[in-house]
Amino acid sequence: MPTFLRSLPAALTAVTLIAALPGSARAGQEHPGMGGGRFEHVHALALDAEARALWLGAHTGLFRSEDGGRSWQAVALPVTQSHVDIMAIGVDPNDPRAIYAATHEAGLFKTTDGGGTWKAINAGLGGPDVHGLAVDPAAPQKLHAAVRDKGEGIYRTADGGGRWTRVDDGPGGEVKVLTSVNLPTGMGGIWLYAGTAEGLQRNPDCF
Amino acid sequence: MGGLPANRTVNGFAVDPANPKVMYVATRDGLFKSTDAGERWTPAGKGLKNLAAVAVNPTRPAEVYTVTVDGQLYRSADGGATWARQR
Repeated sequence: MPTFLRSLPAALTAVTLIAALPGSARAGQEHPGMGGGRFEHVHALALDAEARALWLGAHTGLFRSEDGGRSWQAVALPVTQSHVDIMAIGVDPNDPRAIYAATHEAGLFKTTDGGGTWKAINAGLGGPDVHGLAVDPAAPQKLHAAVRDKGEGIYRTADGGGRWTRVDDGPGGEVKVLTSVNLPTGMGGIWLYAGTAEGLQRNPDCF
Repeated sequence: MGGLPANRTVNGFAVDPANPKVMYVATRDGLFKSTDAGERWTPAGKGLKNLAAVAVNPTRPAEVYTVTVDGQLYRSADGGATWARQR
């Protein structure tokens, strides 16, 4: 398996020296329920396949809005932790009820009823800290997940999360967002784009 | 990837599903758009800073949302050219 992104033409890579960036500002908690104070630190934003709802992932959990983001309802996941940090959200492009949530503490969760019930889908995943999740737009049962720290690497599933297999070390730099892009690589697959602490990078996907 | 600020963390990324060469990147320095699969990037939307994520409406791809790290949500109806805060 090729190492993630190492074979790219230089023009397409954004691998650069890492500047010593200050950490992102974290909003205070002095206004719980209002804007940033409620979320503390936002990581992810998505619309479902029919744009029925906006989904937001934050340090304080998973939220859903059905009025374009004017109001948000917390969405509970079946976890033992008092809260989970939502790092990424994936949507099935063909089914507005099928949503994935990636957490910092407890791996991956999936709903097929629009968020009413969730189940953990972590079989084969090497660790609980998932920083990126990409649904293949042409084959939604195929996903990639970026795991940090324990079991670090890129994992894939071909059955909607039933089983994960580690396929790559992943890009250099911490993964912030992972997205499958339905553009042919010319090698039989499509591109996997990764937003990282070192910029935007892409690699042929692993299917 | 010309036009993206060097040495900057990419916090968010989204693609127009109807035309996947159209892409958006969310950074501390604002939002950037590419129409050629990431070869070239141009700033999209003045005044947006400290962005955490970006999303495209799959049913109406000119509608784009972006959110700041501290939770301020903005909506564009014109592919990222102009933005209004959602309240």
